[in-house]
Amino acid sequence: MLHVESLRLEFGGVVALRDVTFTVEKDEFFAILGPNGAGKTSLFNCLSGLVRPAGSIKVDGTELIGRKPHEIADLGIARTFQNLGLFGSMTVAENILVGSHLQIRGGALSAAFRWPATFSSERRARARADELMELMGLREYRDLVVETLPYGIRKRVEIAKAVASGPQLLLLDEPVAGMNHEETEAFVDFVLELKQRLGLTIVMIEHDVAMVMRIADRILALDFGETIGLGTPDQIQRNERVIAAYLGTVDGSQTPALLSMEEATSE
Amino acid sequence: MSLAGTIGIYAVAAIGLNVLSGYAGQISLAQSVFVGIGAFAGVGLGSLAHLPLLVWLPATFLAGGIAAAVAAPLTLRLKGVFQIVLSLGLIFVGNFIFVNTPALTGGNSGISAAPSLSLGFVDFGELTIGGMRYSYEQGLFIVIWLCVAAGMVAVVNMRRTRFGRSLVAIREAETAAQIAGINTGRAKVMAFILAGAFGGLAGGLLMAQLRYVQAEQFGINMGLELLIIVVVGGLGSTWGPVLGATVISSIPILATQYAEYIPFLQEDFSQSGQFGIPVGQVGLIIYGLALVLVMVFEPRGLAHLLQAGGRKAGSLFRRAPRGRWTRAAADRK
Repeated sequence: MLHVESLRLEFGGVVALRDVTFTVEKDEFFAILGPNGAGKTSLFNCLSGLVRPAGSIKVDGTELIGRKPHEIADLGIARTFQNLGLFGSMTVAENILVGSHLQIRGGALSAAFRWPATFSSERRARARADELMELMGLREYRDLVVETLPYGIRKRVEIAKAVASGPQLLLLDEPVAGMNHEETEAFVDFVLELKQRLGLTIVMIEHDVAMVMRIADRILALDFGETIGLGTPDQIQRNERVIAAYLGTVDGSQTPALLSMEEATSE
Repeated sequence: MSLAGTIGIYAVAAIGLNVLSGYAGQISLAQSVFVGIGAFAGVGLGSLAHLPLLVWLPATFLAGGIAAAVAAPLTLRLKGVFQIVLSLGLIFVGNFIFVNTPALTGGNSGISAAPSLSLGFVDFGELTIGGMRYSYEQGLFIVIWLCVAAGMVAVVNMRRTRFGRSLVAIREAETAAQIAGINTGRAKVMAFILAGAFGGLAGGLLMAQLRYVQAEQFGINMGLELLIIVVVGGLGSTWGPVLGATVISSIPILATQYAEYIPFLQEDFSQSGQFGIPVGQVGLIIYGLALVLVMVFEPRGLAHLLQAGGRKAGSLFRRAPRGRWTRAAADRK
């Protein structure tokens, strides 16, 4: 469903992405792997319309490049941010309602006059938000202000907010960064369940190599903005350039060291 | 009575500015320009063209909104300090336009207005309820506070729904708001238009109250005053504009009125050579002090202060054991 072709992004003289080409199939769990500064987040920024690269990004045949972020959201693409894109002074419920912005109708004037259609659409969105909070185990935090919540909960709110728009494609930017091992495990189960229930296609940026190898269907490995590997976890695991990028060696015999890659990359 | 009217008028303008600065987080010093546009639109339609209240008053709302729609694409392109400087520029442009359309504004010398407050079936200019006759000022007072109430209800409804949430989302994290599917450009323009429209409405009411308006009034002083009202009252709070307007516009007037009872305060020091504060400058000192105190001790404004105070007072009246129990239960949550 997602076709990225010869994507190129430059900031001044720095090339952030160089001829990146890949395809994500429907219902796939696609991971993007790479060291810091490899261009992973830049790639996401291209996908969500925050920067304008050269090349082509198509979702179900619709070109994304040149569209504004809110138009891209309207095509059913949602994303989370590495450093959380939450609205701090709002409650959990309100954050999720902002996430479902596109499913609610009504503007300033219809709200001011309490237009019935606007308020019934609002009520439906609230009911859906309640369901989502139930599903995500956020019910007890419903009316708490996001700023006051612990980091782990906020990460969950961030995902709930993204999912609230009813997307078909969900982009997760380092969702388990800062989580410990148990939290990561719980998170993985949770995302897989969510994917199944909502029929999501997921593209995830992640540092945690072991986790990515375990759950991703296919992996794109980037280094210095270039594709250094694309394929199934098995293929990536045997890819010499990927190993070199992570361990700083070109020696293929380092493969047994793979298990320690997690340590090598978790900053 | 005229003071309560003035408070209401400033509250209407501040309700609009609160949508823009409080909810959407866009700073504007140029709210006074839209008050001016409303005032002069009111002069034209209400006084010169002798249209009834139901026409000229909504027209001032529209005029402010339309003027804001014209200015919005310029101001909202910028952020932070640049936005403030641009809004200052807007004040000068506004003043230039006011001074140079003397047919409507009387140029530099101002213009008198005698608008009708009649709705046809009821005339707020000569209101009679149950045999009691009310004066023009009293009738206008009712009109003003009806506008305040309508404005507050409208803004509360907006804040609770999609549009209001998207404004707050823009203030908190603009990129994340875009990603959530909010057309941030359009939402900001809409907030600016609403601010301008309420500014215009306040201008129309001000014109009806003073019955004489002058381009000079709608300068930077009024723009600053409105922004201070919104900040002191509490950015992004429902009651903030009304509370802020009450404090900020009433204190200088009361201080002038009761000058003789306040120490260090005199009509004029130029003759006596004594040390003290001239009455005319009390207003400025109060603005300054209020702003500093609120910013230091309660940046969320008077509305929040009262809310917290109210909660505290409420818990005093509750029976102690039950109060403690509920608080403990709330903590456990």
